[in-house]
Amino acid sequence: MEEKPVSPVLKVLAAFGFLFLLAPVLIVVPLSFSNDVFMSFPPSGYSLRWYIAIGANAKLLDAFLFSVKLASLVTVVNILIAVPASYALIRKAPFGADAIMSLLTAPLLLPTIVLGLALLIVMARAGYLATPQGIFLAHLVVTLPYALRVIATALSTLPIAVEEAAATLGASPLSVFFRITLPMLMPGIVAAAALSFLVSFDEVVLSLFMNGPKVTTLPVELYHHVESRADPLVAAASVLLVVFTLAVVIIVDRSLGLAKTFVK
Amino acid sequence: MIHHASTATNIAAPLGNEAKPGHGFLSLQGLSKRYSEFVAVDAVDLDVNQGEFVSLLGPSGCGKTTTLRMIAGLVQASGGRIVVAGRDLTAIPPFRRDMGLVFQSYALFPHMSVAGNIAFGLEMRGLSRSEISNRVTEAIALVRLEGRENRRPSELSGGQQQRVALARALVIRPSILLLDEPLSNLDAKLRDEMRTEIRDIQRRLGTTAIFVTHDQDEALTMSDRVVVMNHGRIEQTGTPEDLYERPRTPFVASFVGRTNRFSGTALGRSVKLGDTLVHSATEANGPADVMIRPHRITISTGSAAASGGQNTLSGIVRRMTYAGNLLQYDVLAGDLTFQVEEATLGSGRALAPGTTVTLSWSAQDTLVFEAKP
Repeated sequence: MEEKPVSPVLKVLAAFGFLFLLAPVLIVVPLSFSNDVFMSFPPSGYSLRWYIAIGANAKLLDAFLFSVKLASLVTVVNILIAVPASYALIRKAPFGADAIMSLLTAPLLLPTIVLGLALLIVMARAGYLATPQGIFLAHLVVTLPYALRVIATALSTLPIAVEEAAATLGASPLSVFFRITLPMLMPGIVAAAALSFLVSFDEVVLSLFMNGPKVTTLPVELYHHVESRADPLVAAASVLLVVFTLAVVIIVDRSLGLAKTFVK
Repeated sequence: MIHHASTATNIAAPLGNEAKPGHGFLSLQGLSKRYSEFVAVDAVDLDVNQGEFVSLLGPSGCGKTTTLRMIAGLVQASGGRIVVAGRDLTAIPPFRRDMGLVFQSYALFPHMSVAGNIAFGLEMRGLSRSEISNRVTEAIALVRLEGRENRRPSELSGGQQQRVALARALVIRPSILLLDEPLSNLDAKLRDEMRTEIRDIQRRLGTTAIFVTHDQDEALTMSDRVVVMNHGRIEQTGTPEDLYERPRTPFVASFVGRTNRFSGTALGRSVKLGDTLVHSATEANGPADVMIRPHRITISTGSAAASGGQNTLSGIVRRMTYAGNLLQYDVLAGDLTFQVEEATLGSGRALAPGTTVTLSWSAQDTLVFEAKP
C-alpha cells in the first residue's frame, strides 16, 4: 500500500499546533528543577530541592493519597452502576430510555459552577458538607455521565446476534451476560474506568465547594498552595502528576489496549 | 447428562413418514407475527418431516426470517403454535428450545477460540469435560477445520467462520438446524461449495433443517421441499420440481426461475395475447397472466414445421447477449417480445440481430393463471 506523502506545510502547522498545546506544560518542567525560592522563568539555578520538599510536605502527600482513594472508589462504583444501567437502557430499551439517558448524562452539559453551587446547598442540608461521603457523591455525579456514555456506546455497537447465538445454544440470560456480553464489553469498561479515574482525580471546582480540613484533594491542595505561596513546589508536583497520569494511561493501554478501545 | 445426549441422538434419527397437517416433526400452526401496524407473518401453516431439508424462499420482507426467528424463540409469536415432536414450544424461551441457529453474520464469539465457540453449547448443557472434548474434536473434523482449534474467529476466512458457526450449531445435536441466509456473505465459488457441504452434512446426520434464503438457486438445489413466501403468507409449498414446473401462482412462476410474462385472455386451452393465439395444456377462461420460461422456447432459422400441440411463431432477433453458458435473445414476434435462452454448445452458432427465426414450444410450457378480479 502506498502512503500519501505529508506536505511540509501540514507538518509545520501540526508542529505549531502541538507547540501551542504543550508549551505551557513544557515550561513547567524546567521550572520544577528550579533552585529559586520564587517561581521565575528561566530559573537562575537548577536543583532537586522542590522535589525533596514535596516528600516533606505531609499535607500534599495526604491530599494525594486521598485523591487516589477517592478516584478509585468513584471508578469502581461508577462501573457497578454504569454497566447494569447501560444494559437496561440499551438492551431492554424501556419506555423513555432516551429521556433517562439524557437525564443521566445532563451533568456533562451543566456549567460545573452551577452544579457545584447546587451540590453545596443539597449537601449542606443533608449534613454531608466537607465529609468524604459528600465529596464522593459529588464526584460520582460528574463522572457517571462519562462512564455511562462510554459503556452505553460500546454496548450498542456489540452485535446482538452474538448474544442471540449464545441463547440458542442453551445459555440462560444470566450466562449470556457473564460469558458473552461482559467479556465483549471489557474494552469499553476499561475505557470508562480510565476516564472516571482521571476526571475524578482532576476535578477542582466541585472539590473546592465540597472540601474541608479532612477532605482535601490534591488539585485543591495545590490550588491553596499557589494562593498562599509562589514557590516552584507546585511545578514539581505538576510534573509528577503528568508522569502519574501517563503511567495510568500506559498501564491500561499495555494491559488491555486503550487505543483500540477509543479508536474502534 | 449422558441421558440428555442419548435422547438428542434418538431424535436425530430420521423416521421418513409423511407429514400430515399438524403431524409433522416440526409443525407451525397458524403462526403469526404482528407489529403495531404491520403483519410480518400471517397465519403460516407448515409441517416438516424429520430429516427433511426445507427452504423458506421469498423476497426481503416476505416474513421468512421472522418465521425462522419465531421457531428459534428469538421473536415472540403473536398468534399460532410451534410444535416440535409433539411438544408445544411457543412459550418456551430460546435457551430451552434445543435448536441450532446459523446466522448470516456468523455471530461467532470473538473472545473465544474456534474450539471455545464450538464447546459453548455443550458447556451450557453441563456435559463432562471429556465428553465435550470428544464432541468438539468430532465437530471440527465434520467441518474440516482440523489444526485451527486455537485460532480466533477474526483469524479465519469467511468460509471458515461459516464452518465454525455450522459446527457450533450442530455439535449440540439440535432437534432442528435453522439456517438464516448463511451463504449470502460468501463469494460465488465458495457459496457453491458450502451449499454442497451443508447438504451433505445435513443428510449424513439426518438433521431436520430449515433454510431461509432469497436465492432461488440455493432453494432449488439444496431442498427436499421449498416454501415460497410473499407478504407474510405461504404462496406455495412443494418440491423444487413442483415449484418450477407447476407453479400455482404468478408470483411463484416469476420468483422461481426466469419467465416471459404476458397479459392476455384465456379461451379454454388457448390464450389470446394481442393478435397472437398460443396453446396451453390447462383449462382457463377470462383475463389471464401467461408465462413461458425462456429456455423452454426453441429458436431455429427458417420456418420449422410445428408438430402436434406445439406453438410456433415467427419473429426477428432484436438483441443477442452472450453469457458464457447461455445465449440470450430478445425476439420480436408480432407485437410480443420474447426472451429466449439457448445453451451454448461450442459450435459457434449465434444468431445476429435482424435474423428471421421461428420460435416453438410445447403447449404444456405455456403457464396460464386466471387473473384474480
